[in-house]
Amino acid sequence: MIYPLIGFLLGIIVGIYAPINIPVIYAPYMSIAVLAAMDSVFGGIRAVEENNFNMNIFITGFFSNTLLAGFLAYFGDRMGLPIYMAAIFAFGVRIFQNLAIIRRLIVQRIFQKNN
Amino acid sequence: MKNSFQAHFLIATVCFILGMMLVAQFRSVQINGGAVTSLQRAQELTTELKNVIDERELLKKEVADLRGRLTEYENSASKVSGLTDAMKKELEKARMTAGLLAGNGPGVVIILDDSNIPKQPGEDPNLFLIHDEDLLKVVNELFAAGAEAVSINGQRIIANSEIRCVGPTIIVNSVRLAPPFVVEAIGDPDTLESSMRMRGGVIESLQVFGIQVSIKKQDNIDMPAYNGPIQFKYFQPLKAGEKQ
Repeated sequence: MIYPLIGFLLGIIVGIYAPINIPVIYAPYMSIAVLAAMDSVFGGIRAVEENNFNMNIFITGFFSNTLLAGFLAYFGDRMGLPIYMAAIFAFGVRIFQNLAIIRRLIVQRIFQKNN
Repeated sequence: MKNSFQAHFLIATVCFILGMMLVAQFRSVQINGGAVTSLQRAQELTTELKNVIDERELLKKEVADLRGRLTEYENSASKVSGLTDAMKKELEKARMTAGLLAGNGPGVVIILDDSNIPKQPGEDPNLFLIHDEDLLKVVNELFAAGAEAVSINGQRIIANSEIRCVGPTIIVNSVRLAPPFVVEAIGDPDTLESSMRMRGGVIESLQVFGIQVSIKKQDNIDMPAYNGPIQFKYFQPLKAGEKQ
């Protein structure tokens, strides 16, 4: 569990020093992409905890989710269709579900060790 | 064990990308200031606005004071000789043209108010409001019909008066005005009225959208003077006999 945290912190540090700037118009789509990325990460952690982690599914899922979420939100705006709402809802529900499952699995593991 | 390490490494890589995305997103939100302006900032601006308004009141008083003193000087100077008397008459005329003198005379009073037709859903509410363009057209038509002095809600229209939309209000001579707009014009009342009521004219086009217009002829209209500041920062007048 320590590697993801290290990776995350490294990402933040690099992000702070690297001059990445998102144009104002694309900021809303970026936020959807971030949400999708978070969903993928939590899904991955859950899969590791459940011991059915599949590298290919994880990597393709991360990139396709992130890019598709951003693109669909953008496309929806062009069509006057609030797809971003659906994305927020779908990813939001999944993130919290995954969080709950991860918590349960970790708690179980800890108590098993103690027993 | 190897598989688990690989998984952790992959998640770490993805987390790395996620971290960069988060920072970029956070930064762009900060640049835009987010959707909500903080309460503190709003309070700051309110105090600032109050200060500026107070300052403006003070300056207005000063302008009135200085104007009064100027008239005093003119009067005392005119007593000195006939030459200055003629000059004073000339000055009076120039000030009349410039709109710096209050006065009265016959003319028309036009009252414009927003439409009272109930808005149907899906209709553009802008169609039923009075815009700067409508007022501009009315004023333009009045001058075209020979109006000698025009004011909107007590703001005298002078050579460099502006008429412009600022949100829901209209700004004239840097003063915000809200409907109903009372446009007063001094001139031949009949000509002015018929210019307004012309077929296909301003009033007709406004009434299509239900904007309430009333035109009254009056024998005596009190016309206020322009009371804003007059500044020439860039304009340099040519001296008499001088060539460019």
